[in-house]
Amino acid sequence: MKVDIVTHRDGEEAVVAYEYRKREEGERPMALDVLLQAQATAMPDLAFRYGCRARNCGVCTIDINGKPRIACRSRVRDGDRLSPMATLPVLGDLVVRRDGIARQMRGRLSGGAQGNDLNVEAPEVYHDLTACIECYACLNGCPMHARNFGGGLPGNMPDGHQPPDPAEGYRWGNPFSLLKLQRIRVDPLTAEAGRETAVDHAVELGLDACVGCAGCKCGVGIDLMGQVVAELLEAAKGRVSESGGSPAGRQGK
Amino acid sequence: MAIDTEWRDYDVIVVGSGGAGSHAANAAAEDGARVLVVSKDPIGCSDTKISEGIATVRASGADDDTEAVLSENLRVAGGDLPVEAITDAFAEDSKTAYDRYRVHGLRPAIDTGRDTPQPLPLPLGGHNKRRSVGHVNSGVAFGHANWNAVLQSSQIDYLEDAWFLDLVTGDDGTGGKRIVGGLIYDASRGLLVAVRAPSVVIAAGGLSTLYFPKTDTMRGNTGDSYAVAARAGADLVDMEQVQFLPFCLASPPSYEGLLCGEPVTASFLGVLRDARGKVILDGVYLRTRAECSAAIMRAVEAGRGSPNGGAYLDMTANKRQPRSGPYFMRFLQTCLPSAYRNARQALGKSAAKCEEPWEVRPGAHYLMGGVRVDANGASVGGEGAGETTAGIAGLYAAGQAMGGVFGANRLGSTSLTEGAVFGVRAGKAAAAGAAARAEIDDAAFGPLIDEAGRRFGQKGDIAAATLKLELQRESWDCIGPVRTAERLDRMDGLIADWSARLGRVAIPAYGTWNQAFIELEELRNMLETARLVSIAARERDGSLGGHVRLDCGEISAFAQPYSTIVRRDADGALQVRRVARPRTPLKRLLAYKLQENWRKVQVKMLRLMPPGMQDKQLEKRYRAIMGGGGSAPEIVPGGAEGAIGEATKA
Repeated sequence: MKVDIVTHRDGEEAVVAYEYRKREEGERPMALDVLLQAQATAMPDLAFRYGCRARNCGVCTIDINGKPRIACRSRVRDGDRLSPMATLPVLGDLVVRRDGIARQMRGRLSGGAQGNDLNVEAPEVYHDLTACIECYACLNGCPMHARNFGGGLPGNMPDGHQPPDPAEGYRWGNPFSLLKLQRIRVDPLTAEAGRETAVDHAVELGLDACVGCAGCKCGVGIDLMGQVVAELLEAAKGRVSESGGSPAGRQGK
Repeated sequence: MAIDTEWRDYDVIVVGSGGAGSHAANAAAEDGARVLVVSKDPIGCSDTKISEGIATVRASGADDDTEAVLSENLRVAGGDLPVEAITDAFAEDSKTAYDRYRVHGLRPAIDTGRDTPQPLPLPLGGHNKRRSVGHVNSGVAFGHANWNAVLQSSQIDYLEDAWFLDLVTGDDGTGGKRIVGGLIYDASRGLLVAVRAPSVVIAAGGLSTLYFPKTDTMRGNTGDSYAVAARAGADLVDMEQVQFLPFCLASPPSYEGLLCGEPVTASFLGVLRDARGKVILDGVYLRTRAECSAAIMRAVEAGRGSPNGGAYLDMTANKRQPRSGPYFMRFLQTCLPSAYRNARQALGKSAAKCEEPWEVRPGAHYLMGGVRVDANGASVGGEGAGETTAGIAGLYAAGQAMGGVFGANRLGSTSLTEGAVFGVRAGKAAAAGAAARAEIDDAAFGPLIDEAGRRFGQKGDIAAATLKLELQRESWDCIGPVRTAERLDRMDGLIADWSARLGRVAIPAYGTWNQAFIELEELRNMLETARLVSIAARERDGSLGGHVRLDCGEISAFAQPYSTIVRRDADGALQVRRVARPRTPLKRLLAYKLQENWRKVQVKMLRLMPPGMQDKQLEKRYRAIMGGGGSAPEIVPGGAEGAIGEATKA
């Protein structure tokens, strides 16, 4: 079975046509199996992230035929193309730099706890949101995230735009950062002021880009549009443009 | 030199960002320290995040669950190897440390009557009280809390995609060593980062990747915690005590190593069979993980193993019972949902219905030994429980990196609590220690910076990733779930051979995400860790807990307990010795033994009953566990002791 693996070394991109040898009859390998075998044979220095091999840790996301997939639980077929997630800058081979996402949440996570009693149950929606494994598949096609790259992708930015420094934290948000903020809002231990601050942060991060957006897709099935975006838009009513504030439009669709 | 070095100053460096690292960083920052967290994986993406998400919270289920009761429970389960001051600390802090996960967003169900987190309905994994609290979304919920803990504090800086290469030490003025900092490879910026800091907390997890793919843990467990400490000259304790889960998948390849069950899930009539169908272990649900693993591996050794080097877990007898069979299936499906899901996906429908046996093989899960520390996570040396004056000043360890909490066996659901308890303690101690910082001489960093720098552009004809694969295969055979003196010898020979070849590994010169360099560094740590395990395994010349010697007998629970201590001496030579541990009073040990044997007699009686009577008995028992509604409580990957014994005492 032939699978194309896109590599990046020292700034050079290449495509390696890797011939996967099935380990048992009828095997339908996951993308991660292909990468592991390639590393064990023809490409010993192939760089890719993985962790638990059971769809829990969220680090092995790559693009398969241009769509973000969790490599340990995505089967590949003959002729498939494995490349790094297009939505974040490449560090080496299939490894992208994730740092700019987490860092933009610095200083935005406190809910200003009310009281000292921790023995309060959270509503179901809180747990729905905590199911996020931080795989970043939701960045795909997000117009808010694309603003960081002049409306394009880190590897294909429009002329005249400088790549942002991930070490500073990205200026514009994404479905994951909105989920983190909404989680603060539905936490029963968050003080009222904290709920409002969370909405302020969502607006700062570019919530207006969500108006009129066709929607984001979660890698593990969380209802991002219903449980995150719609809730935040409702809370920020009157503060984001009603006519749709997405300058870049929808990417990748 | 091909790669630049950036210099920084902090009070405390924390290596790792899982349950232990995040709490250490947070606690140190709270006490005013300037903290740098170094994580090779993205922040919070650790074993904690992929765990079953069940934590030990003392007194959550019973008012008589005193600190003394929990502390003794840990020590007896651990074969008297754990250090009393450390198990006392665990018992003392388990509630407050758990609350720190909650401060960062963990939200358990609450028992409003008792005003505590709601524990699972039964004592788990060798616990003598109900005190294990489960969570929606399992470990992922803890992962969010750890992430928040690191990100939230403005006192904490962090580097992810950054490999902590080595500790830098200096003279402490009294002939001992002290920490002066550490050297880091920041792969995302393509730099070496030399950090001057008087305190370092090692919280970089375990070593299970030595046995990949025969493990259910995160890829990053390349023994970094132990290797870094050992190279700096610290004491390590009980390094032979690797915990293997007996029931991991052996096929198909994508699922190899993942957990599919625990002794408890085999339920009343589950047995282990060899390739010929002969029963090699009965009463599986009452056995320890180590007993099950040893039975499987002994069959493999005798040439009666399954095609993928395991044995068969046969639960069909549970399923066939007309009345109790349906209860069993519900129990199996809900007891460990993620494990059952793995089995269903990997083995297919008929196996998922328990109409055929499952091929299972042990998998590496946890190292119960680790860096030798005191109750505050500070490095110790010397006799008995050890003294900080004989350890490395400024060095701390927490979580799986440390030893002394579990000894030869680990109770179920303790590791998440361990991370928080000792993370907080080590973080606070590290911050306090850093307040009295002495002058740091940059010259101490020189040799390490030169050595790391020279690697970039190293010419050679070998790939480290290839050697890593050889090491993983041999580690399973020689220092895995079963060991012999002969295999330990073989391992030592191979390690020497591989180590000699490190200079021939080809590494390109570029700085940003240099995978060849990363592979080499991880291989170096895995080799060092394999050495530590091997030498400790040789010293422990009998089977005990997670350590099984095919060429020696069992070590009796009544023998004088001892821990193995390994360290590199001033010349860099590896030394091993024993330190005696106090034994639990004979009367109490006898009581434990009697209870254990009584449970085994009971299971024999149950198995020999006439079928109809047996079925009715089983139905009664399932109803008692699962409640009238028949909904099974979620039960965790149990502990080492025949945990299920308590769980099924209907």
